[in-house]
Parts: sequence; C-alpha cells; structure tokens
Amino acid sequence: MSAPTTSSALLSARSLSRDFTTRAAGRFWNAKRVTHAVDDVSLDLYRGRVTAIVGESGSGKSVLARMLARIVTPTSGQLVFDGATLDPHHKRGLDYAAQVQLVLQDPFASINPIHPIRHCLERPLLIHGAASDEVDALASAALTRVALVPPERFLDRYPHELSGGQLQRVSIARALCVRPKVLLADEPISMLDVSVRLGILNLLKGLCVSEQLAIMYITHDIASARYLADEVIVMYAGQIVERSLGTSLVDEPAHPYTQLLVASVPDPGALDETRVVGQHEKLEVASVGCRFAPRCPHAMEVCRTTNPPNVELEPGHVSRCWLHTRDAHAGHHVSSRRADEGGDI
Amino acid sequence: MSALQRRDETPDVGVPVLGVRRVAPEAPHPIVLDVRDFSVDYGVGTQMVTAVRDVNFSLSRSKVLGIAGESGSGKSTLVYAITRLLRAPGVIRSGSAILHVALPDAHDEAVDLVQADERMLRKVRWSHVSIVLQSALNALNPVLRIRREFDEVLKTHRASMTKIERRERSVELLRMVGLSEDRLDRFPHELSGGQRQRVMIALALALDPDLVIMDEPTTALDVVTQREIINELNELRSRFGFAMIFITHDLSLLVELADDIVVMYAGSIVERAGALELYDAPRHPYTLGLLNSFPPLHGARRELTGIPGSPPDLANLPAGCSFSTRCPFVMERCRRESPVLRPVDDTRQVACWLHEPGASASVPVELSRRRRDLAPDVALSKVESR
Repeated sequence: MSAPTTSSALLSARSLSRDFTTRAAGRFWNAKRVTHAVDDVSLDLYRGRVTAIVGESGSGKSVLARMLARIVTPTSGQLVFDGATLDPHHKRGLDYAAQVQLVLQDPFASINPIHPIRHCLERPLLIHGAASDEVDALASAALTRVALVPPERFLDRYPHELSGGQLQRVSIARALCVRPKVLLADEPISMLDVSVRLGILNLLKGLCVSEQLAIMYITHDIASARYLADEVIVMYAGQIVERSLGTSLVDEPAHPYTQLLVASVPDPGALDETRVVGQHEKLEVASVGCRFAPRCPHAMEVCRTTNPPNVELEPGHVSRCWLHTRDAHAGHHVSSRRADEGGDI
Repeated sequence: MSALQRRDETPDVGVPVLGVRRVAPEAPHPIVLDVRDFSVDYGVGTQMVTAVRDVNFSLSRSKVLGIAGESGSGKSTLVYAITRLLRAPGVIRSGSAILHVALPDAHDEAVDLVQADERMLRKVRWSHVSIVLQSALNALNPVLRIRREFDEVLKTHRASMTKIERRERSVELLRMVGLSEDRLDRFPHELSGGQRQRVMIALALALDPDLVIMDEPTTALDVVTQREIINELNELRSRFGFAMIFITHDLSLLVELADDIVVMYAGSIVERAGALELYDAPRHPYTLGLLNSFPPLHGARRELTGIPGSPPDLANLPAGCSFSTRCPFVMERCRRESPVLRPVDDTRQVACWLHEPGASASVPVELSRRRRDLAPDVALSKVESR
C-alpha cells in the first residue's frame, strides 16, 4: 500500500540540523545557550505520498518544514530536490518556491484580512509570471480544486465572511495555484472545528492521489496521522525517534515516547485499560545520551550516557532506542509488540 | 511487563468493566445547579442573534457534566451567562439558574444566579462556583508572580487568614495539582502551558467550591499533558467531591471524563445522555457525525466523512431544525418545524424528528442500534480500498 509511485524521492533532507542561540536565563547575563531545534533529521518525500510528522509543541516539526521550504537556513545538512543538491546558503529562488509550497496552521492569520480572496490567489500567480488575462481563470480553477464551488461565489468575498474550514481551503488553493510538486502542511487542521477537519484531511489525501503531490503533513494528533499518512515519523526534541510505513507505528509503537503519545490520546474504545501516566510534563531534554531519557520509564544507564542507535525492527519501521538492541538489559524489553493484530490492511 | 503497555485491541471488550472507573452511584446526590429554560441573546432589536436557546439541565454533587459542540454552538456563552460573567452585548433573555449551596447568611440554600445582585454574586463566585478559562496565559496576570494570584483570592474571600496561613494554603494547593513550592515565586511566562493550566486549576479550587466550570482547559495543550491533567482532575474530584461542568469540542475526551454529556448545536441541546451510552449509541445525527469525525486509533483505515457543510451561522439559521442543512437523514418535516428535546428512553433525550413516534421515515440503523454492532461498512463510511 505504501510503495512510492516513483522510485526516487522528490525532496530529501539529508542530516538537516538547525540550532538557535539564546541568551541563557541565569547569573551570567551574556552566557549563550544553544537550542538544537532540529538535530540530524533525514527524510524523503515522494510523489503521491503523504508523510506525517508527529510531535508535541517544541519538537522542531515546524522548523523542519520551514527548512524544507527554505525559509529557515539549516545550520548543517543538505536538501536534495529532484536529484539536485541545493546549496543551503544560496537564496531561495522563485522556481523553488513554485515547486515547494507551505500551508500554515492558522488560516485567520495567514490570509490578509483587508483584501478579498481574489487578491490572495492572484498575487502569487502574478508574481510567478502568469499572464494577467488568464489569472482570473487560474484563480477560479484553484478554488475548484479545493472544492470551493462555484468559485465566483468566493472570489470577491473577504476572509471574515468565510468559515475557518473554507479559509483553510483557500489557503491550500493559494499554495496549489502555482502548481507545486511538494506541499508542506503545518498543522492544517488544528485551528479548525472538529466537524470540518476530516474534510480538509480528505482533500489533502485526494490531492495527493489525483495530482501526485508529495505532501508533508505536520500534526500533534497521532490519530489523524494514522488516518492520512503513508509514512509516519515521530519527532521528539528535534530528533526523529520512530518512523514506519503504514499504520504499524500507531498500532505497535516501539519507542517509549511513541507509546506514551499513543496511550495519551483520548480513546473511549479502550476505557477499561490502565492508563499510563507520563513521567514528567515539563520538556526536559538531556544534553547527553537519549533526549527522552529523563521522562522515559525504561531509562537505563546507557541511555544517559550514549546516543541511542537507530534500530530497524522490520522493513521500514525504525526506532531510535537502546531497548531494541541486543545489549539491552533482559528485563527491560519493550514488550509492546502484538503478534495478533496485523498492522497493515 | 512494562508499565508502558500498549493497550490491547478490540474496543468492544471494554463495556462491562467501564463502570468501575467512576464513583458508584449509591445514594442520589443532591443537586448543585439547576438550569431551566435558559436563553441568551447577543444584541437587541433587528441585529439580535440567539446564542443559547431554552437550555435545561441539572447537575448533582460530585458529578461531571460534559458540554460538547463546535464553535458557535453556544457552549461557552451558556456557562458565562450562568456565572453572570457575560458582557454586553450578551443578554440573558429568560430562564433561571438555581444554585443549591450553603450560604452563610442567606434565608434558604438556593440562589437564582440570574436574579442575584452584585453583593450576592460576590459571595457565590469563587467560594461556591469557580471557573477555569481556556487560555491560561491570558487568564494569569503576566506581571504578577503566581504567589500574588493566590494571595489576592485568599485575602478577598478569607479576610481572617494571616500571611503565613495564606502562604501555607498556596503551597498546599500547588502540591495538590502536582507542582512544587518554588513555582509560587515564578511569573506565568516562566511556566510551561501545562503548568499554567495547573496553576489555574489550583486557583479555582482555592476556596473549596461546590461547582467548578472548565472551559476547554486542555485544548491548547498537547495530548500527553492533557492526559495528566485529566487524570489529576479525576483524582481531585473524587477527593473533594465538587461538581464539574467540562466544556470541550473533543467528544472522545468527554466520554472518558464525564458522567453525562449534552451535545449542543446552534445554541440548543440536541442530545443528552450518559457518557458511555452517547458514545456507544448516538441517537442524534449530529452526535453521530461528531463521533465519526475523529479518526480511530484502531482497526482498518477507512475513509470517514465527518459532517458535510460548515458550522452554523447563528445570524442565518435555516428554518426548522438548525441541523437540517447538514443532516444526512433529513426529512421534509425537518425543514419546516424545529424539533424539541424529548426522551427516547429512561435516561436520554434527543431533539430529532426521526425519533418522534409515528415519524414518516423509520429510524436509520445508525441511530437505532449500538455502534459496535454495526458492520464497519454500514456506519456512514466505506472500506478504504488501497
């Protein structure tokens, strides 16, 4: 089900990292502290495939999306687009912007409230060199692609006249009207009403299939990632901790953080089960060893001293944890894997 | 076995055990709040919209009432009006909200919050009814240390307390919500979102209220923090026995937390039922749609449809049933007459013409049977063919 439609990745990140330097709050007012917002992240986006990035606030998922859109310059690492390696310090050109588009979280904030919808769709078209006599038709076509029909009803309305779900569709239409190949959707549904969220998810899925878009879907809602994505990647404190194809990551989470995440989702279907209580709510990030170790219920000596390795549990399912290695203490096995439920369908 | 066990499969094994989770209902609990025929408008004259329409409910001691609905359904307006925090242009048009509490110098033990004057409200607020707001960052004063927030409440309502006693009480309250003493000297910006929300909860409990209102307290938090706060609320409730009104748009969260749930749409209650019954056998098409809007964590992936259309515009509601424009089971009658909330069995009420005796159409299978008895392909969704 998850086989990429083309064998080679369209957009790849190779060991992308981004550090932010902040002034440390403390006695030495000029002391600097470095936050590793994204640390050594590699991933591939394929045509016709949705890749979901799941993580809590502060896990670096939005910085990652901005690096892929080349709005934020990576501290180190490379981007490869369509086979060509890009110079990270080179300015992003119009041609790259036309290929890789970003959809932001809050449509109320990301669409200019003083202009009608027409303006917000035609501006990118004009900037990207569309002839002025066909701009109108292209804007209408873009609205039709996101199921805002008839387009004439929406073109001359102002953002405040539309609901959140409709505005998010406009936001997607704006990204699509320059015919990109990659769509980076940064929490596109978290600001929307529950009843319209599925509409946006189904729209993204439909676009992915019909237009062979490569979509990166960023979310903190692991259930929606399971619903939409062909590949799910879980980030914690800037690092990828677990990734898998299909639904196996959510069905059989291997990394302790993923397990905590899945167990925390409200799930009336499993009310009688004993609930897991998180270790510590504050985001404590270890500077050496595994970053999750301070919160991890299975933390061992080795976790606090050495970075955990990536372990491939099954083809396509990788977890970054010492527990999966053979040296792990015998009593500490993460026995989450269930043999009786097939992860894939 | 690890403490972090992944729960085991099938969602339908849970039901018989479910009651264990809650406090067993032995003696009937005394009623804390009784809301009758409550209506709230915004504005007056031609520009008026009705945000809450003829709402009735009552809440017993140590129970949790969940209010679910999307934005514009009137759920926040309802509780702001009940607590009389509603500001102009909001107007309480009709109704009563009787609070049954022991007031020190009142003649009887019931206060109608709608009729109460400022003096009475001052006595009731915080000591008997407290509220936790959605955004803790905005609700806490950014230039005051946490200590001052506690101090102010205790000074105002417990004038006899000394400085040392106030400090002791503040520390005790913080401990109750799992925060350490040193947080007292912090500013709100130094705390994480979850910690701020805990401070808000501790503040709400400072005077041992009879009723705590939670207006989307966990919406801005991530799931792990949300889970911890929910667990803590459950514990605090069983310890202190306060009643709780919990507002959220996340129906699956409510099913875990609440005893009873009311679902609101466009200002009216469309369904009320026990939490598990509502989840297991929704009777209103809107409730069914809401439940189907959450992608499940288990089972085969199949395409879900959610609810078509967009949330209601209160200034421009359709004639008849306000949900009729989005309802998959709409009938002729729905477009003409608006249904009223009426009982379908002993424990639940629904406002839908489909459940009217002698309705022209038979009740659809999705709304007449339990959800887990339905084959997946019957339940408003089709099996994904990927």
